[in-house]
Amino acid sequence: MKRLVLAWMAALPACAGVLTVPLGLDAYLPVPETNPLTPAKIALGKKLFFDKALSQDGSMACASCHQPEHAFTDQRQVAMGIGGQAGTRRVPRLANRVYGKSFFWDGRAASLEEQVLQPIANAREMGSSDAEAARRVGITVPEMRDALASFVRTILSGGARYDHYLAGEDGALTAQEKLGLRLFTGKADCSSCHVGPNLTDERFHNTGVGNGDDPGRAAVTGREEDRGAFKTPGLRDVARTPPYMHDGSLATLNDVIDFYNKGGHSNPQLDSEIRPLHLTAEEEAALVAFLEALNGQVRSGD
Amino acid sequence: MAAAAWCTETGVPRVCWSGADVTLLGSPSRDGKWLSFADPVTGALAVRNLADGTSHPIATRPAGSHEFAYFSVFSRDGRNVAYAWFNQQGFYDLRVTSVAGGSAPRVLYRNEDAGFVQPCSWTPDGKQILTLLFRRDNISQIALVPAAGGPPRVLRSLDWVYPKKMDISPDGRWIVYDNFAADGKTDRTIFLLATDGSEERRLVDMPGNYLFPLWMPDGRSIVFAGDHNGPEELWMLPVEDGHAKGPPHRVPGSLGRFLPLGMTNSSELFCGVRTGTPDVFIASITDPRNPVRASVRFVGRNRSPAWSADGSKLAYLSRRGTENFGQDTYTIVVLDLASKEEREVPAQLADIDHVTWSPDGSTLLASGSDGKGRGGVFAVRVLDGKTTPVATEHGAPFRGFEAVWARDGKSVYYLHGETELRQHRIVDGTENVVLHAEGMRGLAINPAGDTLAVGIAGRAIRLTPLTAGVKARLIPFPGLTELAWGKDLYAGAGVGLWAMPLDGGKPLPVPVPSGRQPGVSVSPDGNSIAYGVGYDQSQVVSLELPRR
Repeated sequence: MKRLVLAWMAALPACAGVLTVPLGLDAYLPVPETNPLTPAKIALGKKLFFDKALSQDGSMACASCHQPEHAFTDQRQVAMGIGGQAGTRRVPRLANRVYGKSFFWDGRAASLEEQVLQPIANAREMGSSDAEAARRVGITVPEMRDALASFVRTILSGGARYDHYLAGEDGALTAQEKLGLRLFTGKADCSSCHVGPNLTDERFHNTGVGNGDDPGRAAVTGREEDRGAFKTPGLRDVARTPPYMHDGSLATLNDVIDFYNKGGHSNPQLDSEIRPLHLTAEEEAALVAFLEALNGQVRSGD
Repeated sequence: MAAAAWCTETGVPRVCWSGADVTLLGSPSRDGKWLSFADPVTGALAVRNLADGTSHPIATRPAGSHEFAYFSVFSRDGRNVAYAWFNQQGFYDLRVTSVAGGSAPRVLYRNEDAGFVQPCSWTPDGKQILTLLFRRDNISQIALVPAAGGPPRVLRSLDWVYPKKMDISPDGRWIVYDNFAADGKTDRTIFLLATDGSEERRLVDMPGNYLFPLWMPDGRSIVFAGDHNGPEELWMLPVEDGHAKGPPHRVPGSLGRFLPLGMTNSSELFCGVRTGTPDVFIASITDPRNPVRASVRFVGRNRSPAWSADGSKLAYLSRRGTENFGQDTYTIVVLDLASKEEREVPAQLADIDHVTWSPDGSTLLASGSDGKGRGGVFAVRVLDGKTTPVATEHGAPFRGFEAVWARDGKSVYYLHGETELRQHRIVDGTENVVLHAEGMRGLAINPAGDTLAVGIAGRAIRLTPLTAGVKARLIPFPGLTELAWGKDLYAGAGVGLWAMPLDGGKPLPVPVPSGRQPGVSVSPDGNSIAYGVGYDQSQVVSLELPRR
């Protein structure tokens, strides 16, 4: 443990010293020039993130669903908004979204600045409006937008045992976890989509999850071939953030591995990469063990 | 327009090293006296004295080992060389060794999951080595590896097709590298990244393909290769405080097909230059001494022909794009032998080694690797190049597996490594091992589709029946390197080619040009053969660039 802590402290300064990037993540943070990270904006964004005044009835903050103690998601199958309204999709984890290329499960927001305002105005989520929320906290909409986006960019997860292994500490992973990693990038081919430091290709795939009611990416592009496609989620801290999939339909990591081992639910838009994997029980267990080695230290605002 | 002025003062290229032993996997020392290189014969990392042409190894492999050196770069003071070393476990370490000798090489980074490394530049203080880490999950990373040991500092993660070159500015503040200009594009351009990760920007924004950037020793400009949608040329770009100062300028003169290797303190640019016009030829079996060039449209850049099952078409690989240390990018071209039309098939593959046709002529089986870092065999639709994996895996050779199609089109036979001949069923992806043997190389299927010919340890051909109850046969053939089966079976041994009678008779030599290259195909009617002739050669040249 001491080694992990030291490595964390030795992590890289980035963005002119505003933020410390943990082991395993890129030092370069793609922050837009129009909204540079500043300590003041990050502090304001953090305050807003936890402020229930942003919701229509004062009952919900961003943090009501994106709970820091649960790696910035919650434990429900689907999101729950004001008045107990149920959404249709699982609350996404927010760690490492600074590296994201599009946002929401269907990628309908092209930037965090675009993304952070939508839940505030969504009738089934916070039920307010951008203007009303900003008025309540005494700032302008752009100030609220930029501050929230800045804070979300500081939510980082790294320093997992997987990161230490990649950094050259051969003993950071057990033999079973190493087998899981071999399978992850080999027979199970998980890395066909879950790639890079954040374990996502930031693209959209129909992996045969759900019953076909949710159009997914097709609602954004209007293309039938995108029906049922959802953005590949990053896998940081995945072991402590059940349930899984965009609809929260799978309760455990074992369920997820088993689902993919069977080749997903057949449908016309099923991604060509999804096929039966012929994994043994031992191999499924090794994959789960490897995924547990992705648990890192989630931090925000600093 | 000061840049134009210094460009006109550029010197004449000087050949520093030529001949069959030239390799382009090294870099010059900053004083211009030495060139590091990977010796392909001994596997050693060696340095060449550019004054007298002598060389000596500075890191060698143990006796009996298959380890070898790959990319290398001198430290700025010329005392050490950082290099990639293919280790006994089958992946690449990052190592450093002293040029003067006296101490064993040190391993700076070793991880199977980032199993390919390319050291590119040292920081001015000599404390860190700018290195590309190529991960098993198909991501490449720009990292600084401490020269004294310790975890790498990853600055930036990129796509699988990695930068060809990176360099650190003389003041240590900036890295220049090439990468794709945009998602989904194959043209590259030049980017700048702060060594502390604090900022990144694109430096070159004009049409064309730009790559292999290097800093000039004064830190006030960079040089790089680029084609501007035309011939490849050398370009210079003034840079100040991390920003481009004006547009890039061409350096007058032509180096041909070149790739920058490194820069000296006196502004002498070292480049690898490639020459040669390899091509595919078709010859009559009865008159093999008079081959005819197959391609009219893409002359001098072709290899690895494959005849379609009906004999109406010939597919071949055609080199595209800029130089890449001799590991060039190829596309598939299909030649209609009646109309002479040549059409490119845009396979979505990063590397292709050879192709074979499906029995119905609709699909090519391509051996190579894809943009997700998977090697193996892929099905490429001839109509539009749509590419789907057939039998692939991460970590497999990027040149893929040797493979042939079963005559019913329902399965594929392929060599997995050198020890397993497998059958892969297309419909459900299930596989079985047809044959276990050591050193298998060369695979062909007979016209009836009931027998496979497999090369065994470079010593014999094993005729492997695919129907029950038929015994396998072994035909001795020393030096075997390849097999092709049209109407008759042919065996290659290096440049030579022989017709192999199956009745026990002696192999009959086929007169082919002395420059024949591996990759032969026989027409289904048995009347013609197609093969590659000619090969690329390398030189190292230097060019004095005027200081600004």
